[in-house]
Amino acid sequence: MFEAKGLMVFYENMLALNNVSLKCQEAQIVGVFGTNSAGKSTLMYTLSGIMQDIKKKEAMAGGERITLMGEVFYQGEDIMSLKPSQRARKGIILCPERRRIFPESTVLENLKIGGYLADSVQIKATLDYVFTIFPALVPLKNREGGFLSGGEQQMLAIGRALMAQPRILLLDEPLMGLSPLVQALLARSIKGIRDERGVSLIITEQYARPVLPIVDYAYILENGAAVMEGTRQELMDNPDVRAAYFGI
Amino acid sequence: MTLKGGDVRQERIDRGIKVRTGGIYAVSSWKEIGYLLIPRLVLIVGLLILPLAVTNLYWQRVISIVGIYALLSLSFDFLTHFVGLVSLGGAFYVGVGGYMAAILNTKLGLSPLFTIPMAALGGAAICTLFLLPCLPLRGVYFSIVTLMYPLITARIIEALNILGGTDGIVGVASFPNRWVEQYSLFGLLLLILFGLRRLVNKDIGLVFRGIKDNDQAVKASGINITHYKAAAVFISSGMGCLGGAYLVHIYMWSGISQLALDFSIIPIASTVIGGGGTLVGPVLGAFILVPISELLRAFGTLRIVFYSLILMAFIIFRSEGLMVYAQRKYHQFERWVKV
Repeated sequence: MFEAKGLMVFYENMLALNNVSLKCQEAQIVGVFGTNSAGKSTLMYTLSGIMQDIKKKEAMAGGERITLMGEVFYQGEDIMSLKPSQRARKGIILCPERRRIFPESTVLENLKIGGYLADSVQIKATLDYVFTIFPALVPLKNREGGFLSGGEQQMLAIGRALMAQPRILLLDEPLMGLSPLVQALLARSIKGIRDERGVSLIITEQYARPVLPIVDYAYILENGAAVMEGTRQELMDNPDVRAAYFGI
Repeated sequence: MTLKGGDVRQERIDRGIKVRTGGIYAVSSWKEIGYLLIPRLVLIVGLLILPLAVTNLYWQRVISIVGIYALLSLSFDFLTHFVGLVSLGGAFYVGVGGYMAAILNTKLGLSPLFTIPMAALGGAAICTLFLLPCLPLRGVYFSIVTLMYPLITARIIEALNILGGTDGIVGVASFPNRWVEQYSLFGLLLLILFGLRRLVNKDIGLVFRGIKDNDQAVKASGINITHYKAAAVFISSGMGCLGGAYLVHIYMWSGISQLALDFSIIPIASTVIGGGGTLVGPVLGAFILVPISELLRAFGTLRIVFYSLILMAFIIFRSEGLMVYAQRKYHQFERWVKV
């Protein structure tokens, strides 16, 4: 349903993504694991189209030139040339790294901005749904986003992404900087989103262990290249991968 | 991007000579020395030839004014892109320097040789003192507060009828001849330009840029940032006061018009056009913008319209700034490579 073929991204002359291809089926959770600077965020930006934006901005400011190559298919249609807003309309929603919530808006406002394109019935239903899976947000409804803790902010960020009615949800390091307990809680919620709403998810992480139980298929990125892919079990059986990414 | 002939991309590579001359072995051949020196020589020689090349009396006056705007642009660029304080107080600096030079000249009878450096240093001290309370401000707040300074000063002079009131201070001595006027101005401009270039690459420049990027981290390193900000404001306002002192001696008159917002706004425009953060760019920008503005006088009242259109075109199509673009073209070349 969602497929990227031969993605290549150059920041000036540095190769950030080297011929990465990846597939995500309907209602599948795909993990992308890699160390710092492996190209995880670049991949997410490319899939969600934000890279087009960054590229334009860099060109305007006289910064580094970004070269994008490859194809991204969504339901058989090449969406590589689409702007991020057009991709979001099609249901490809990015939940960016380090949350990027609106710190001066309240939780409720944050969520409503996410649902800007949805109709009022959908908004109400999704709002209820977000508060069901993240009950911790209910008492914080009217608090400004910037005053939430890291875990709450991450819940809010995921909630905001859900409000946009995603068909594919791209989560960039959703568990970054959270305690193991909150990580496990969030991982369960993420799985719940897939099970209950049939959303496909692509999750990037550095440390694979907390999300490992919920991924169906995973890719390992190293220096911008997808060096390995396989089901959870296949990767678990590989001793190198286990040592490097799973810490087991 | 995918082209018909397969996957190719354009790549930028530093010229070999740039890579070599970037190190300390630049003096290994005349070619490499030339590569480093030619852009600087073009600037220096160009500035020094300019007064000789311009014979028209009207344009001679214009290039003196351009030199003053170049100083102001330099001061704005330094404070904005190296310290992170966007100051709209250019007119205040010019006014303080101008009035100070005028008073020193008319009341004490000092010659421009003394009034100009005294006005530059003394004016800088006064400006720094006045700006001290707003140094903790950041971003747009600092800009707005500094914008108020020239406005307030002009109104105070007008209302209290001090410093000559609306008539200003007349009878300020002029330069002996235009060669002294222009060559000393351009000489100082070059001196300050290259001096600032050195300054921002020294340790103190590092602190300045640190304050711009993340002042909390600088504070956490045990550095008193107010001290450094005040030093930066002193340097920057000193340049503005220097320009103001020159202006007064060129016009032989000091008045409220020296607090006009032109002196705050045009430096911003020339910094944007020339390329912020390059120091040379704003000087170049001033040398492009001010003459254009003079040329457009032929359009009468429509002057501002065309001026704004030119400015907008520059900003939209070359928002990186001329100098950034030129430096890139000089140091790098581009080629198509197969992926």
